[in-house]
Amino acid sequence: MTKRLIAPLYTATALGLLAPLPAFAAEPAAVVTTYADIAAAKYADSLTTAKALQAAVDALIATSSAETLEAAKTAWLAARVPYQQSEVFRFGNAIVDDWEGKVNAWPLDEGLIDYVDASYGGPTEENEFAALNVIATPTFTLSGVAVDATTITPDLISGTLQEADGIESNVASGYHAVEFLLWGQDLNGTGPGAGARPFTDYATGDTCTGGNCDRRAAYLKAATDLLVADLEYMAAQWAEGGEARAAVTTDPAAGLQAMLTGMGSLSYGEQAGERMKLGLMLNDPEEEHDCFSDNTHNSHYYDGLGVQNVYLGSYTRPDGSVVSGPSLSDLVAEKDPALDAALKAELEATMAALAALKAAADGGFAYDQMLASGNAEGEALIMAAVNGLVTQTASIERAVTALGLNGIAFEGSDSLDNPEAVFQ
Amino acid sequence: MTRTQARALRPHRALTGGLILALALGWAAMARADVPESVQKHILPGYAAFSAATQELAEKAADDCSPAALQPAFHAAFDAWIAVAHLRLGPVEEDGRALAIAFWPDPKGAGARTLARLIADADPVATDPAAFADVSVAGRGLTTLERLLHDPALTGGYACTLTRAVAADLARMAAEVDIGWQGGFAELMLTAGQPGNTRYLTTAEARQALFTQLITGLNFTADQRLGRPLGTFDRPRPERAEARLSGRSLRNVALSLAALESLAVTLHPDSPATIAAFAKARALATALADPVLAGVATPGGRLKVEILQQAIQAVRAAAEAEIGPRLGVSLGFNAADGD
Repeated sequence: MTKRLIAPLYTATALGLLAPLPAFAAEPAAVVTTYADIAAAKYADSLTTAKALQAAVDALIATSSAETLEAAKTAWLAARVPYQQSEVFRFGNAIVDDWEGKVNAWPLDEGLIDYVDASYGGPTEENEFAALNVIATPTFTLSGVAVDATTITPDLISGTLQEADGIESNVASGYHAVEFLLWGQDLNGTGPGAGARPFTDYATGDTCTGGNCDRRAAYLKAATDLLVADLEYMAAQWAEGGEARAAVTTDPAAGLQAMLTGMGSLSYGEQAGERMKLGLMLNDPEEEHDCFSDNTHNSHYYDGLGVQNVYLGSYTRPDGSVVSGPSLSDLVAEKDPALDAALKAELEATMAALAALKAAADGGFAYDQMLASGNAEGEALIMAAVNGLVTQTASIERAVTALGLNGIAFEGSDSLDNPEAVFQ
Repeated sequence: MTRTQARALRPHRALTGGLILALALGWAAMARADVPESVQKHILPGYAAFSAATQELAEKAADDCSPAALQPAFHAAFDAWIAVAHLRLGPVEEDGRALAIAFWPDPKGAGARTLARLIADADPVATDPAAFADVSVAGRGLTTLERLLHDPALTGGYACTLTRAVAADLARMAAEVDIGWQGGFAELMLTAGQPGNTRYLTTAEARQALFTQLITGLNFTADQRLGRPLGTFDRPRPERAEARLSGRSLRNVALSLAALESLAVTLHPDSPATIAAFAKARALATALADPVLAGVATPGGRLKVEILQQAIQAVRAAAEAEIGPRLGVSLGFNAADGD
């Protein structure tokens, strides 16, 4: 008991907090409230930083220059920091999972949106619209329906273009569409360098490069506005009175389960598997999560941090302030102190591995270079993080058992889409 | 692969047989339903058969790389893989083996792209087994071999070299998985909960691991093997069926159901509702008579595939209601949790 109380005290002191220590053991109701508070803060921060991006995009469109393009890129990178930490809410929360594709769908056939290099190829067997280039094509036919895209609006993007022809890689909205419009294709393969879109792609008159600069600007503006609107929706779902908040706080046991489902599914199937190991095994730079901007190392790092801060019940906001409260860690420690210690150590080890990967990338060894066939150093950096994520997943499973949440079937996104199949 | 290299693989087979015997004797006393039964009667024989079938394939390829000569051995190896393909734990998860053995689904067309690049460059990597093991998973394994043996455009000297390289690489991976189970992972499962076993801290954890493979495997067959070609009513996607080129889409569905039933009944034999649900789904698969699921593009054919899909979902529901609670476990995290 003493040990358990000292740990939060130490953390609180280290973070400069004056939060009172819990007088009693953590209650599930309090733990899920912390969880909802952290979600609310992460989506609010995602919204704030997306609005800053929106302002930077407006400035770029008003006056395109190397500086305004750079400022928009910087704003995009900053916007990813809180958003990636929110990804841990995706699995386990149907409201988030159903919505997530609008803002963070990936990978994308970017030729749907704008011009691409000849090496990209044209339509593919899987996707007839992989090279549609909406920006250069004001009218076209989509699945037999004539589409008037002379004015590019958020509605056109979300209602018509997103997942056009029922194909997931027709990603028309969200962070990665905006990323493509700011950086352009990364044509360096597994060599150094990110996308290098010239600012003149947003120029007016004769200086315009890439053609249709006005339509490109309209697309960028519409996609950014749509991102802000989508984040407003999700921030409201977690605010006081929001539906997502109610879903986890009304029944704390279900809330705890959502927390652990999110942590485990993101750690294992999504991040370790789909996002990291698969790309490495394919040696394919297109399997990079933030492939245009070469920001994948940060994407992975903040995903991992999101898992850790849900467990510890403490999230540090972009302004340095901290949202914290009774945690899952407190609950697990009460049932099985050894498990809690192991899981905390494993989360820390994963973060150390992700930090090493991030440091290497920040030092110029880009994530796509790490994916190159035969790059032993890159493979070691990526696999250290993958192994950390896989290891912590076993302890997350054990936490489910320790908290007595085993009776209810649960898994990843599939069951969220078909709840009746699970509970039949 | 040369004939000498093919022979070099043979000791693995002898080793494999010897280990099976030794392990079977050692574990005879533990044989009963539950995890030991699944390991001994489902997993170990499955991997031994897969290893034997792929080595046969590699040897045949070394002798004669022509598609006509190799197709029977290719099908035998694919059959053997489907018997264990739902097991996504242990040695098959190391070094990306499961991904490389059968890279599917492949929504970005990485398989075709990688193969086209290898052929265009006549990449000498195909003559170096160690280097070939590092080729993208999309350019190796059964899916690549399927293209090489069934796409009439792929002929000539380099295609032959590549066929041999892919077959040898497949046999290498199959042997590694087989040996990995026999040389340690089986014991980890069988000694779950015993002192020193840090992987499976309780018997329930080993049960949960296998139960998760069962449910995930059912999901994969329903959602991917059938779901991908089904697409939507307005936009069916027959071209997305698994192993369409070699005409084995439905065969893989039927074999996967047989394999999953074997896992279910070894894990928990007294599962009447699950077994009945399996029988229904398997009968529907047998009656379907649509080898590459091309019928998804017609209303009548589509309905039949949807009915089969629902029957597989019903197996899953039955197993979750019947086997999970009786083993005292729920579904764990799995590789399919992602997108």
